[in-house]
Amino acid sequence: MTEPQTAEIPKTESEAESTRELPPVVADQLDDEVAPFRPGVAGWLARGAVWALLAWVVFAIPGNVLSPFHLGVSDVGHASKAAIFAIIGLSLNVLIGYAGTISLGHQAFVGVGGFVSAYVVVDMGLEFWLAVPIAAAVGGLQAALLGAVSLRLTGLYFALVTLAYGVFAEETLFGITAFTGGEGGKNVPRPIGFGDDYSFYYLCLAFLAVVLWADWRLVRTKGGRALQALRENPRVASSYGIDVKAYTLMAFVVSGIFAGIGGALLAQQSTFLVPETFDFELALLFVLMTVVGGLRNRVGVVIGSVIFALLEEGTLVHLLHIDGFLDSTIGLPAEFFGLVVGPFLLLLTLTLYPGGIGQQIAPISHWLRGRKFDLHAGKVTEVEVADVRA
Amino acid sequence: MSVLEVTDLNIQFGGVRALDHVSMRAGEWEIVGIIGPNGAGKTTLFNCITGFYRPSKGKIRYRGKSITRLPVHKRTALGIGRTFQNVGLVKNTTVAENLVTAQHLQTNYDPWAGMLGGPATFSEESRLSGRAAQLLELLQLSDVANARVADLPYGVLKRVEIATVLATDPDLLLLDEPGSGMGPEEAHALGDTLLELRKEFGLTIVMIDHHVPLVTGVSDYVYCLNFGEVLAEGKPDEVRNHPEVVRAYLGEEPAETTSEEYV
Repeated sequence: MTEPQTAEIPKTESEAESTRELPPVVADQLDDEVAPFRPGVAGWLARGAVWALLAWVVFAIPGNVLSPFHLGVSDVGHASKAAIFAIIGLSLNVLIGYAGTISLGHQAFVGVGGFVSAYVVVDMGLEFWLAVPIAAAVGGLQAALLGAVSLRLTGLYFALVTLAYGVFAEETLFGITAFTGGEGGKNVPRPIGFGDDYSFYYLCLAFLAVVLWADWRLVRTKGGRALQALRENPRVASSYGIDVKAYTLMAFVVSGIFAGIGGALLAQQSTFLVPETFDFELALLFVLMTVVGGLRNRVGVVIGSVIFALLEEGTLVHLLHIDGFLDSTIGLPAEFFGLVVGPFLLLLTLTLYPGGIGQQIAPISHWLRGRKFDLHAGKVTEVEVADVRA
Repeated sequence: MSVLEVTDLNIQFGGVRALDHVSMRAGEWEIVGIIGPNGAGKTTLFNCITGFYRPSKGKIRYRGKSITRLPVHKRTALGIGRTFQNVGLVKNTTVAENLVTAQHLQTNYDPWAGMLGGPATFSEESRLSGRAAQLLELLQLSDVANARVADLPYGVLKRVEIATVLATDPDLLLLDEPGSGMGPEEAHALGDTLLELRKEFGLTIVMIDHHVPLVTGVSDYVYCLNFGEVLAEGKPDEVRNHPEVVRAYLGEEPAETTSEEYV
């Protein structure tokens, strides 16, 4: 190893006396010099129209006179399920996206939330409004326990622990007859006033709105910044004074709370809960929809979750009125549509769009937020391919 | 009372003694320089002081209080701030965002309150961004406030790092090669900036650097490490001309070159 520096440096005292200032750093991109883009009246009207259209689709989906879709009763139920899946996707996004860890046992988080809320409503005879916070609290607690393990194990080993926890919950926890009704499952009545699928959908939307708000504020405040720092570089994070362990645990608790809420709603939505629902396949679906949606991209995760929720049982195909087309051209039954589209979306994420759907729709979402339409808006993304493949 | 006092520090990695009976101290408002060839143990010493490594033997005291067993973030809370040799910043955010993140301990609300969106959190957030802008202004970095860290050149990042560590509100600043990636002119200016910062924030500074003129120019006291041992210590001029130091840097024969062309 050679060290070219010398120790013999002539230094004049006067040099040190005269205070020289560091030259200001000048940004070489002149992005800010150019007046920021402001859409004109027509531009705003166009954006407003698209916003209104989106709102119309979201709010009118359960089918009233104004609904863009002609839905069967069962499809309305699936709309609620889509909103619930969005909550679950956001829950998993906190872990995978923000904290940079993984959970292959998320179905257990959701399942515990569901059974706790069912227990609270059916066996304890309490109101639904109490069942949700209790399910959320229990969800947060179990997540904290699993999070404590994650402080000791990382990567593949921790993934295995979450997988094992999921299986344990499915086989053992949900087998406790007094708690879950065992094999036979459990009836869960809908909350009073939200008995029908239409009003229940709006209830789910309301909860999704709350979760979205919390997620947004999380990212923009102390906790979210701490999580980003510790995900990217735990050493730097701790040198900023961030308690890496405490904030990792916080991410687990937040994720568990969201999952608990999702589980409670899922129990009410299906009105009949059986342990087998919460198998490993569901955990994979949750991870898939979150990653395909786009880690750390709120809108992307919601869309991804909704797509995967609707792909199951072919609801999306019914909604888009392409079942006849699919059947006649390629002879693909609606139920199997998901098996084709799901892996395709995953491949897209793993190759071209590590930012998932969030990255794919970036040109549109940026435009909707009042920026110029730019096909390459999603080019710079925080999520790298390696991030997703890891 | 000295701000930092390291006594008889030992640490081993496998068979290698990275630090061997190292003792050093930094008094209030002092600038202490640490020089030494690559692999001398300078950064290892920093890692012990900040808590990334646990020394196998020895004591580290901060203002008389033993901190040898404290975790990193608690040392930061006490007022020990550091920069990293290869830039310690959150790369996927903007410069300004980094400075806000670094104000973690000055953020006066609970993370849960932040998540629920309590009204107080919004005003606190704007206070933090205001402070970040102030510090960036001070280090003449306002122009890159909204640039992504990953897009900026190394030399600029070294300066961003100084602004960021100031955001943690330190008392004792540990700078690991703040002048690397800078030319000699810039390094001199950096030295003056450090003197200014010491005055403005009342800092005690311990600094590692290969720019010997920078270190000797601003330091009140200099340690030279070699193979994990303190080779020489004393006033900058004494250390610079110490025969052992010259030998460690240049081999047996002291050469007539200046460092300027090598930086």
